[in-house]
Amino acid sequence: MARCSKNQCITFLVVAACASVSMAESDDPGKPRAAMPEKHLEVFRKYCLDCHDSDTKEGSVDLEAISFDISRDIPTAERWAKILNAINSGEMPPRDAEPISDSDKTAFLKDLSIQMVTARKILSDTGGVITMRRLNRREYANRVEALLGVRPDVTTLPDDQATSGFDTSGASLFISSDQIEQYLATARRNLELALLPRKTLPSKTVRVEPEDEFNKTISEAAATMRDQVKRAKSYFDQKEKPASDFGFLDDYQAGRQKTAEWLPLFDRYLSRPETKSGIATIVTIKQGGLTKVKLPVLGERAEGKYIVRVRAAAYPDARERFRYLEFTSGYGTGRKLLGWRKVTASLDDPQIIEFPLEHHPGERAQIWIHQRGHQDRGDKNLAKLDRRANGFGTPPGMWVDWAELIGPLPESDGEKAAEWILFAKPDGWSTDRYAKEIIRRFAVSAFRGMEPDADFLDRLFQQYSAQRAKGQKHVEALLKPLSIILASPSFLYMVESTGNEDSPALTGTELASRLSYFLWSAPPDDELLALAESGKLTESSVLKTQTSRLLGDERADRFVRGFVHQWLEMERLDMFQFRGVDFPTFDNSVRENAREEIFGTVHTMLDEKLPLRLLLKSDFVVVNDLMAGYYGLPNVEGHEFRKVPVPDDSLRGGLLGTAAVLAMGSDGVRSSPVERGAWVLRHLLNDAPPPAPPNVPMLSRLAGQVLSARELGEAHQEQPQCAQCHQKIDPVGFGLENFDASGGWRDVETIVIGRRKSKKTKEFEIEPNGQLPDGKKFDDYFGLREAVSHHEDDFAQGFTEALIEYGLGRPYGFTDQDLSDEIMDAAKGSDYEISRFVHALVQSQPFRTK
Amino acid sequence: MSDSKSSSSRRGFLRSSSAVVALPLLESLRGRSIATTDLATAAVPPKRMVFLGMGFGVTADRWYPDVKTVGENYELPKILSPLTGHQKDLTIIQNLMHQYSADGHSGSTFWLTGANRYEIPGQSFYNTVSVDQVAAEVLGEQTRFTSIQLAAKRANEDGHGPGFSLAWNRSGKPVSGLDTPVAAFHRLFSNDTSPLAERQQRLNEQRSVLDTVLADAKSVNKKLNKTDNQKLDEYFQSVREIEVRLAKEEKWLAVDKKTPADPIEEPSESLEGFEEIRMMYDLMVAAMQVDATRVFTYRMPVNALISSLGATMTAHNMSHYSEGERRTVSQNRDTAHAMLLAEFIDKLKASKEVDGSSLFDNCSITLGTNLSSVHSLTNCPTLVTGGGAGIKHGRHLVMSDKKTPLCNLWLSLLQGSGIRADSFGDSTGRIDELFQV
Repeated sequence: MARCSKNQCITFLVVAACASVSMAESDDPGKPRAAMPEKHLEVFRKYCLDCHDSDTKEGSVDLEAISFDISRDIPTAERWAKILNAINSGEMPPRDAEPISDSDKTAFLKDLSIQMVTARKILSDTGGVITMRRLNRREYANRVEALLGVRPDVTTLPDDQATSGFDTSGASLFISSDQIEQYLATARRNLELALLPRKTLPSKTVRVEPEDEFNKTISEAAATMRDQVKRAKSYFDQKEKPASDFGFLDDYQAGRQKTAEWLPLFDRYLSRPETKSGIATIVTIKQGGLTKVKLPVLGERAEGKYIVRVRAAAYPDARERFRYLEFTSGYGTGRKLLGWRKVTASLDDPQIIEFPLEHHPGERAQIWIHQRGHQDRGDKNLAKLDRRANGFGTPPGMWVDWAELIGPLPESDGEKAAEWILFAKPDGWSTDRYAKEIIRRFAVSAFRGMEPDADFLDRLFQQYSAQRAKGQKHVEALLKPLSIILASPSFLYMVESTGNEDSPALTGTELASRLSYFLWSAPPDDELLALAESGKLTESSVLKTQTSRLLGDERADRFVRGFVHQWLEMERLDMFQFRGVDFPTFDNSVRENAREEIFGTVHTMLDEKLPLRLLLKSDFVVVNDLMAGYYGLPNVEGHEFRKVPVPDDSLRGGLLGTAAVLAMGSDGVRSSPVERGAWVLRHLLNDAPPPAPPNVPMLSRLAGQVLSARELGEAHQEQPQCAQCHQKIDPVGFGLENFDASGGWRDVETIVIGRRKSKKTKEFEIEPNGQLPDGKKFDDYFGLREAVSHHEDDFAQGFTEALIEYGLGRPYGFTDQDLSDEIMDAAKGSDYEISRFVHALVQSQPFRTK
Repeated sequence: MSDSKSSSSRRGFLRSSSAVVALPLLESLRGRSIATTDLATAAVPPKRMVFLGMGFGVTADRWYPDVKTVGENYELPKILSPLTGHQKDLTIIQNLMHQYSADGHSGSTFWLTGANRYEIPGQSFYNTVSVDQVAAEVLGEQTRFTSIQLAAKRANEDGHGPGFSLAWNRSGKPVSGLDTPVAAFHRLFSNDTSPLAERQQRLNEQRSVLDTVLADAKSVNKKLNKTDNQKLDEYFQSVREIEVRLAKEEKWLAVDKKTPADPIEEPSESLEGFEEIRMMYDLMVAAMQVDATRVFTYRMPVNALISSLGATMTAHNMSHYSEGERRTVSQNRDTAHAMLLAEFIDKLKASKEVDGSSLFDNCSITLGTNLSSVHSLTNCPTLVTGGGAGIKHGRHLVMSDKKTPLCNLWLSLLQGSGIRADSFGDSTGRIDELFQV
């Protein structure tokens, strides 16, 4: 529940975004200030001062002397934080003292928690200072790839999203000794791949006939089962001989094998004529077991682009989710989902499906093709339910005749990294001079055009010479100095020199870097660099044209993903599993595609210059065939995400109706009106609730009771310390209660009582009415969505603040008020069209100055 | 590049550029190798410390003993029953916590540090040195490895939180760990068979790499303002730490690693979960036998553990235990930890030191995590065992102050292990009850 938001910094509390700034009288009327209203002095007098006055100071707490100006300084704010926690946790007033009346307590806690949030923002304000930034993990990977043409494996580097709000926040991007060693090792590995001569494999086509494997294993398994059943039967038909005489460990095992539950499925499988020449896609016995196509392993030196061709057909009665081929790589829990293709052809006329693959040098990959799956035992459990219903199990969805792996396809695009790094040696140059120049040019390029220090270059050359002296060849000896360059501060940090005090403007190349890392998470390309070097980029009109160009480039997808993922806190989507039995259609592929839907939606709006409010409510969704299938939307064919119109009364259209947002507001089992309500307040209404206080006592009265989510929510209103925030949060979340944990519609909430197998359930009618913090009441989900859609100014304000943080790489502070007003004004004129926000930020002074 | 001229000028530079970098006597370390006689076992067995981090919290209502039964007469919770045989040698402590902890998915990040993540305004992460690293500065002086960090893979999904292991260095940066038993085995027991001169050469080369990146750092340093130079200081400090480590490696370059009394075979690559933890414990026992190091931390696997016990849910799902399957998995995990720890204790008790005492008698072991259960950060589960810190075991202690700093325990363990420390983290004092009957 307590979730770290993006812009928080001071110690004493968990987090959260903003609240209105109290502009109470102060020496400097323009200066934001967080103060506790004086009226609460009465609460202190009535309940606290007996022990905590200036005379007694019990526990060294003197509430008579405390300043009500919370944001005065950090010690004052920390004192108030302790007061907040002591009252929240029920520690104060002590049990033998007079309890604070509910109304006093609610009012006191409400004011204090809101003021604490403001105080924290004031005290953590950097005053606009942007700290020098290290390349974060995403940027580092893109940077190395741009330089070497090889995408590095960065899994050993720290995930910078775990320790910072946005992973662009300079002050929170750290470095450690282990990391420096990782940078050296990673650079070395990738330079070897880029520079050492590698044999390119000839392109070839390998066809796999999957039935060769499965007809054998399935018929063997069937024979074994038949034999076991026979032996078990004979054993139970007699009384004298022990189980071991029949090949069983004991009575128990014999009993287990008396019935072969998978046999009917396997018999049916083998009896299908089409399985003589292909496989039908089914779940097999082993956990995670499926009939699948196993393509030849791609080795470490088999890099390149490939095409997988599959000849397949779908069974006429196949369920929607079983009509997709799923392409994966790897094994077990490390398995990666590569993509999906829907099979539409009938068995009479199978189709050929093509799926592109890219294989990176230095990696090994085992590619598989199979039907869609759930995590863990989900598919097996579902097969069991089907078996109970139909006597054999889940019928197959598709038939696969064969699959071909074609590649590596001939490369045509662009200059190889080796060619510019190891440029042709000019006539008359000595090898040493040549090596020196290779090192220098590489360093200049790696350092964003900055000329490296002479001492540094000397030492790099000494590294080269030392390797040569050990007998290494020219290129081999270069690997060491070049990898050192990629572990040096000028490469790892976005160095922006101070310049002189009077002119803090960024230089052209610095501005180019800031812009390209903002929109591409990668270094500037040649065009941008050329404009930067000629000085043109600092002209506003040129900067604008370039911003448009970068936004239109496919690399802008990294901005969409990097920003949106963190802005909307989408990491929550991976936090919980969804059980196959409870949510049969919410499988791994839906989770992945639900995430893509959010990115696709934002990207589409960026491309089509649509107003931001359409994220709140729209008459379209951005889906592919798979998500359309999940939502039950007809006539969407093809795996690409595209805009699809939906009718006015559709559940979908706007973030609130997306599977991703709804699933994030659950724990994988039940929906959570609290999570959902808080998410809406934080991200859509820009009215984040104060952080959940840690360690508030549980409502023990409710232990063991089976309650609806709404009843649980209403219990929050009982205690003042819960009520003050939950009366704002929960009524928003109630409006989404018609969606279950996986975003599917329901009219009743069904709760299983006790152990799952007990099958005892309790049902609750959904009551979706609620209200927004501004008092606007709504009857149901549609009313909620409508009400939220009227808050486009608030939504735009929250979006602006997040964009400032991400783009400038520092927390949003009160000193940014003017900047955000400027951006809002610029965007409002164009109906809050997304790219306008980006343009306004890029054109602003803070973006263009140090 | 290891000539004294360049190294002394580098120190001079470091001194001027970043006052916070402490500079131990590098020259006394460099170039001098340890004579084997220095390693002769002392008459008094050395003190050792082990910290075992569980990540996501325990099944709270079953893991803690009844608060009404304190002292010796308490019933060990059923969930911990595998430890029954060792009950008189362990202590369970309730009501310890870190006042600043607020991160409900980080059971390890601040567990051994007690730091305030938001200490620095404008910065969203901050940490301080962990207790094991403070101990290692003293206990690790005479061993090949100052400390050993074991840290299972994929810790982010295991409720451990940010970090590379449980350990954080003096500048509050994460210390990396060995992520598999096989990696730990090789680090602890495999000898580099290449000639000494070649190994020396490699060390020198590593140093010259550092000299080279520092040349660039120095030139960057000149271009920056104060704030950015503070940021760059992190880089200088990191380089400095590598240098200190290389100096120690050099000291031990000529000394072979020892084989433990009960030789241990190279572990299989595929150990995961329960067997992985068991093997890591065996490796720690073996490492103690040869005195390879005296301080260990282990950030244990959670997902892999529950999956090896037959569960099919993620650790995070488990941590939100309600009645039913999630709770069963959570309890099984708790019992598995008790079982593994009991075995570990058995082995430590069976392994004798020269003076007739056992490894167990001279070692302190803490099993716990910063998360008590679900996302709660109060009453951190804490089980201490081993005779090394002089704790009077066999008791259940419930601290009267529900917010007793966990750092008080860390301070107690440091002092109990003979390390001079007046405070640690936000400690307010030693927990005297631990040492008194």
